[in-house]
Amino acid sequence: MDPGELVFLTQGAEAKLYLTVFLGFKSIAKYRIPKPYRHPEFDKLFRYRRTIIEAKIMSHLRILGLNVPAIYYVDPDNGLIIMEYIDGHRLSDCLGVLERSSVIDYALSLGKQASIMHKNTIYHGDLTIANTIVSGNKLYIIDFGLSGYSRDLEEYAIDIHLLSRSIEALYPELHDLFMGYFWKGYAEIAGNEFTVKLKDKVHDIRLRGRYIEERLRRRIMHEKYM
Amino acid sequence: MANADIQNLFVTQGKERALDKIIVLGIESTSHTFGVGIAAIIYGEPKILVNEYSKYVPEKGGIHPREASQHHMAKAPRVLRNALNKSGIKLKDIDAIAVALGPGLGPCLRVGASIARFISSYYGKPLVPVNHAVAHIEIGKLVNKLNDPLVVYVSGGNTLVSIQRRRRYRVLGETLDIPLGNLLDTFAREVGLAPPYVVGGKHQVDICAEWGNEFIDLPYTVKGNDLSFSGLLTAALKKARQAQNRIELGNICLSLRETAFNMLVEVAERGLALTRKKEVLLTGGVAANEYLNLKLDKMAQLHGARFYTVPNEYAGDNGAMIAWTGLLLYLYGVTIDPQKAFVKQRWRLDEVDLPWIPEN
Repeated sequence: MDPGELVFLTQGAEAKLYLTVFLGFKSIAKYRIPKPYRHPEFDKLFRYRRTIIEAKIMSHLRILGLNVPAIYYVDPDNGLIIMEYIDGHRLSDCLGVLERSSVIDYALSLGKQASIMHKNTIYHGDLTIANTIVSGNKLYIIDFGLSGYSRDLEEYAIDIHLLSRSIEALYPELHDLFMGYFWKGYAEIAGNEFTVKLKDKVHDIRLRGRYIEERLRRRIMHEKYM
Repeated sequence: MANADIQNLFVTQGKERALDKIIVLGIESTSHTFGVGIAAIIYGEPKILVNEYSKYVPEKGGIHPREASQHHMAKAPRVLRNALNKSGIKLKDIDAIAVALGPGLGPCLRVGASIARFISSYYGKPLVPVNHAVAHIEIGKLVNKLNDPLVVYVSGGNTLVSIQRRRRYRVLGETLDIPLGNLLDTFAREVGLAPPYVVGGKHQVDICAEWGNEFIDLPYTVKGNDLSFSGLLTAALKKARQAQNRIELGNICLSLRETAFNMLVEVAERGLALTRKKEVLLTGGVAANEYLNLKLDKMAQLHGARFYTVPNEYAGDNGAMIAWTGLLLYLYGVTIDPQKAFVKQRWRLDEVDLPWIPEN
């Protein structure tokens, strides 16, 4: 492949991905597409913000030693990031065909990495199995467009809530196994006390969904006994 | 569900009954609308025979559950009679009676449930429990002849994106606080534009948006596939209180609508990119909104998918959708003992097993 050549790879919800060679490195060019359904001013601001935050947080996490693609180049005005190419499969595509032991390893790894991320006040904002790539025995986290810095437990809990729901939607039968080991990996870094607190918060968030029976029951109990 | 599937079902399930005709009457009373619809399958062709309703419109404020339920009680006999008269069907001729047992407002739900239980017991007809959210989706699939769409269901009580998988509608993303319809209604009410919320088929926020021409930055909150509209509402109301004239208020309406719809379309787009479905279906009360239709249509095109919506008649709450979904459930033998048919104020879409959704 020639340097500078762009090969279209795939289109996600908000960006097009191209394979390219940048300074001799096999790279991904992530281009946030302007959307015809958005107001032009909204669109410009939106793409600028998403690009900046993604590049910033990925660089930070890379320094912390997480498995995230390295950032090579950023052009926020044009919504462009050039980053390291990771050769592998999305967990959302392959979770169902993995050996049980691999599922466990990846769940542990994701738990540990999420824990380090949260410990450094970073939340991902869209931590689903579609946003993880497995490459050999390594699990990479990608797509940080919705991420940010926060000390609010809520944001960390939402990461885990989203992860749990993405597995439930695509591989309901693997949900309990995966999340069990995810929490195990998480607790190894964050410690039990914090992990328990976070688990409670995740449960709370789940109950916030519309029309959940348990929430109603809880409120009735509260009114009755207080 | 395709016609061919229905015909097959007749062969396997319908042996005990008359094969040429199945008629189900459905009652809707989850919120502001009391509706009676009659759905039928006649020689293998699904049909909506009648769709009658009466809508409770508050003089001021929002929906008061007690007032709404009193409206339903007052209007129920006439709506039911009209439905029967227009369709020429007698209660003794129907095969089953379907009722929306939830989710919704307790006092309102109880009106529909009481009537349905009565008809069921008095005429000895099987009673079919229907989830209101499932019904919104099934009517959309019926009128557009869809099998497996990505569903965007938006109303005053719901905002969610869903796909069918393993016997159920699975929720990909939903609002974490208030629904989109509620956001628009509350904003319109608080700034003094509503009620009435809809004038000439247009929502007050849409009308107001035409006064503006400039986009203002408002909080945009998408958390993964989930949405949060409460911060947006607060910020928009704060700005609206400072507005000096119609143009400034118009700018806020325009920006509120732009931001809220973009949030929803983004979540739908994520769902579409993830599942690669070829059809997008917008259903629920807000499906009547032209501007949202336009945005979703453009989005679907970007992903090579076709966009479908539901006609106004079936967009808002209605009895026909309950009848049609009840008919499907009845064909698969889902019924409930009237003595056990309690209303369920909370009953999530993804809690309902649906026999026509494949196992894989």
